[in-house]
Amino acid sequence: MSAPARVPFHNPGWAGNTGEFDLTEADVRGTDFVGERPLDGGHESAAPSYPYMLPDKDPDAVLFEGPYKERFEKIRTRYPTARGALIPTLNLAQELRGHVSPETMDEVAALLGLASAEVRGTVTFYTMYNKRPVGRFLIQVCTNISCSLCKGEEVLDAFLRHTGTELGETSRDGDFTVIEVECLAACGFPVAVQINSRYYENVLPDDVPALLQRLREHGE
Amino acid sequence: MAYPYVHEREVRMISRNFGDPAARTLDGYRERGGYRGLERAFEIGPAAVIDEVKASGLRGRGGAGFPTGLKWSFMPKAGVKPHYLLCNADESEPGTFKDRELIRWDPHQLIEGCLIAAYAMGSRHAYIYLRGEFFEASQVMARAVEEAYERGFAGRRILGSENDIEVTVHVGAGAYICGEETGLMNSLEGRRGEPRVKPPFPAAVGVYSMPTTINNVETLAAVPHIVEHGGEWYRQWGTDKSPGTKLFCVSGHVEKPGNYELPLGFPMMELIEDVCGGVAEGRSLKSVIPGGSSVPLMDVEDCRECTLCYEGVEAAGSMLGCASVIVMDDRTNIVREVRRMVQFYAHESCGQCTPCREGTPWMTQVLRRIEAGRGTESDLDTLLDMSAQMTGTTICVLSDSAAAPVVSSIEKFRDEYLALIHGGERVEVA
Ligand SMILES: Cc1cc2nc3c(=O)[nH]c(=O)nc-3n(C[C@H](O)[C@H](O)[C@H](O)COP(=O)(O)O)c2cc1C
Ligand code: SF4
Ligand code: FES
Repeated sequence: MSAPARVPFHNPGWAGNTGEFDLTEADVRGTDFVGERPLDGGHESAAPSYPYMLPDKDPDAVLFEGPYKERFEKIRTRYPTARGALIPTLNLAQELRGHVSPETMDEVAALLGLASAEVRGTVTFYTMYNKRPVGRFLIQVCTNISCSLCKGEEVLDAFLRHTGTELGETSRDGDFTVIEVECLAACGFPVAVQINSRYYENVLPDDVPALLQRLREHGE
Repeated sequence: MAYPYVHEREVRMISRNFGDPAARTLDGYRERGGYRGLERAFEIGPAAVIDEVKASGLRGRGGAGFPTGLKWSFMPKAGVKPHYLLCNADESEPGTFKDRELIRWDPHQLIEGCLIAAYAMGSRHAYIYLRGEFFEASQVMARAVEEAYERGFAGRRILGSENDIEVTVHVGAGAYICGEETGLMNSLEGRRGEPRVKPPFPAAVGVYSMPTTINNVETLAAVPHIVEHGGEWYRQWGTDKSPGTKLFCVSGHVEKPGNYELPLGFPMMELIEDVCGGVAEGRSLKSVIPGGSSVPLMDVEDCRECTLCYEGVEAAGSMLGCASVIVMDDRTNIVREVRRMVQFYAHESCGQCTPCREGTPWMTQVLRRIEAGRGTESDLDTLLDMSAQMTGTTICVLSDSAAAPVVSSIEKFRDEYLALIHGGERVEVA
């Protein structure tokens, strides 16, 4: 019998095999993305935000100015309470600063008129908020059941070995932090790995050195 | 089209646009027959829409299989209070990977489903709650929502009618428990995603304390087809108790893993042998988890006669859940995989209920000990005892879910546990 069939390791679009979907990160993060049509009472558009980080992080970035301010204001109109906007606002803060420090939590609390303790309670509940700085690339390897059946732990080991780090630690050059994550909802294409915002699917231990090289050279 | 694999026995309804990037635009979707369900909904009115969905017998695809039409009819009559529709796109049940595909290949199908559902229940605001990891899927979704607004398919006076429905894409920040309906509501309000005690039920007091209905992505994706063609039409597939088609997410040790849309009631062995090309590398089958990590494991004996519908899998001693079929071959170390699942629940427990908060890490420890060859036979009794204490005693069923693989694996694969306990090593290691 032949070896298990698998899609060859390449990511033509976002998240694996998405064919011609060729937006770049720059495209999707542009200001036009949040829409141009403010309407009475609220902003009728999609204004989502993402709890991931840019490769270039600025822990001292202002909350918020320029296009980020615009996105924040649009987000605020999409929820009936200020508190409802908390998670999208935190997402925006992390996208900009790379992690959510206690100071960031306080600033976000002030922006939305919430108690700091409430904001801290929320931040620490969610795994995607980095409570301390991480490397330029946050490598998240799924080792849950379907991936575990298809070499999940070996892929995790390969990442640790080739980056020379311990689990959760950042490599000396500041490039890589490797962590283990729970199911990424890509179980049919194991092993699923998320690096910053992007999914890499069908990753096997042997693919790891080339993947790291690609990150160093191309930034994604 | 070769999305990644297709099979001739599939009935591609909700997955018909998988692998076809042109269907992501509003025009592309219209060309493929899109938004006719919405037009028909506006013609026949909200009550008739609910009747069609009831007639179709559609059952919730988020795991519990509750009849969708009935759930919708629990919503109070539209009045002064706002009503909310929530689309559950938090997909995080291990083994499940269908909602992400529905979103990233066919976002307008989901928008159409949300609009019809919101219209039927007098809701003027639909939130689509995506898990935080879904960056690409949320991009696709956000673009599609923008386009729908631009072209008059969302927002004010939809299609020139009197109907206003807002659609908001909301992205979470990583927590399995936010997939539980009331946990999702708390999360959407900016709180920790801790499930709420029921009653009150969401149809009375939901998100922002308002009447709320929550549906899975796949449930809502089927709605436009049902409303366009009628409930009876949908019943031509599936069984009497489980009508329609379902996406089966097959993962693990099969030649061709992936999403396959099949009529409910499809035989399990034919799914594995025929549709998925058999167990990988010509190995033999040891166990199948038919509905994601929260349901009991099945052994080969259970699989043989099992048909994949709600009642069929139940008769075989497990649950259909989200139809996430995880296949394990004869080399699989069952104890290790069960430990990995329980470890997941320990990580994801929200911590409100003692049996769950304390039980899940404790079970993980005991399983680790057995795995390392340091267990005793009485550990098995301890595990069963803990499982009993964790079942039916907590606010949500995460705790029960953690116990399910433990109990079923001890029942069906006791000899594997014993081999580790007595031999210190399994007979055959991968
Ligand atoms: C711990 C837990 C996690 C859940 N996760 C999800 C999920 O990720 N996606 C989902 O649609 N339903 C999930 N559910 C089921 C939801 O609570 C709810 O039943 C479902 O979204 C209702 O939609 P449906 O009637 O269309 O199936 C989960 C339930 C529990 C108890
Ligand atoms: S059972 Fe577990 S996850 Fe569910 S509410 Fe209780 S502690 Fe939280
Ligand atoms: S188990 Fe790894 S992505 Fe689901």
